[in-house]
Amino acid sequence: MDQHESSRRQFLSSVLVASSGALLSETSFAADESTKPAASTTQPVRSIEEGRLTFHGIDTHHGATIGTLSVELSYFEGGAFRLIKHFDTVKNGRSDGALLQGAAFKPGLYEALLYVDDYFSALKTPLPTPNFLKKVPIRFGVSTPQERYHLAVLFNPWNYSYYRGS
Amino acid sequence: MAGITTHVLNSAAGKPGAGMRIDFSILVDGTYRLLKTVTTNTDGRTDQMLLRPEETQVGEYELLFYVDDYFKAQGYKSPEPPFVGKVPVRFSVFDTTQHYHVPMLATPWSCTTYRGS
Repeated sequence: MDQHESSRRQFLSSVLVASSGALLSETSFAADESTKPAASTTQPVRSIEEGRLTFHGIDTHHGATIGTLSVELSYFEGGAFRLIKHFDTVKNGRSDGALLQGAAFKPGLYEALLYVDDYFSALKTPLPTPNFLKKVPIRFGVSTPQERYHLAVLFNPWNYSYYRGS
Repeated sequence: MAGITTHVLNSAAGKPGAGMRIDFSILVDGTYRLLKTVTTNTDGRTDQMLLRPEETQVGEYELLFYVDDYFKAQGYKSPEPPFVGKVPVRFSVFDTTQHYHVPMLATPWSCTTYRGS
C-alpha cells in the first residue's frame, strides 16, 4: 500500500463514520468476475485490465436510490470538458458496470454532471423553484487509471458528498 | 439574516480551512460570470459576506473552491491530478429573504457541501 493509498483509506474511513454504513456497502461485480479468463497465477497483481471507473449515486433523501439518476460524464481535454457518455443509473443508483476501463480510462480530470433536479422532480419530491441543487458537477482527478476508481456520491435536494470509494 | 455566506473546513485535520481561494460567480445568459475572488480567513470564513442581503438576487450561483491548492499548501502530497481538485458548487437562490450558507467540508479524497445556517 503506497502513501497515497494509505492516506486515502484514512480519509475514506472518516467519511464512512460520518455516513450510513449500510448505504455504502458494496457488492462485488459478479458478472465481471465470471467473464475473466481461468486463473493464471503469472499475471501481476495489478494489471491494466483492472483499472476502471464505476459510479454509485445514493439518494439520502429517500434512503435508497429509488429513481433513475441521469449523468453526463466528461473528460477535460483541450481546455474544456468534453462529453464522453450520458448514462442512466441502474440497480440502486449504480452505473451499469464499468463506465471506462482499460486503455479508454485515461489519467486526467473528469466531470460527472448529475441531474439531481430531474431525479427529484420525477419522484415528485416537493421542492422550491428554482431548486437549491439543479445539475450538480462532480469533478475528480484520475492519477492512476490502472487502479479501480469508484465514484460514490451521496445526494439529496439540499446537500451532497462525494468520495473515492472502493 | 439573509445573503450568501460560506465556511471551509478541513475535515481531514478537524480544523478551519484557512487561506483557501474561492471564486464566486453568478449565472448570466448561460455563463458563470465572476463576481469576486475571496480567500478564507483563519476561521475558514470570509471577512465579508459573499453577497449582502440587498445585493442578493434570485438566480444561480457558483462557488469554486481551490481545494487542491489548499492541501498542497498544507504539505499534503496528492497525486497529480489530485482526486479532489478545484471543486465547483452550483446552487440556486430562490428566496432573497432567506440566508444561504453554503459550506465546504473537504479532504484530498472527499468533500461535502450543504445548505447550512
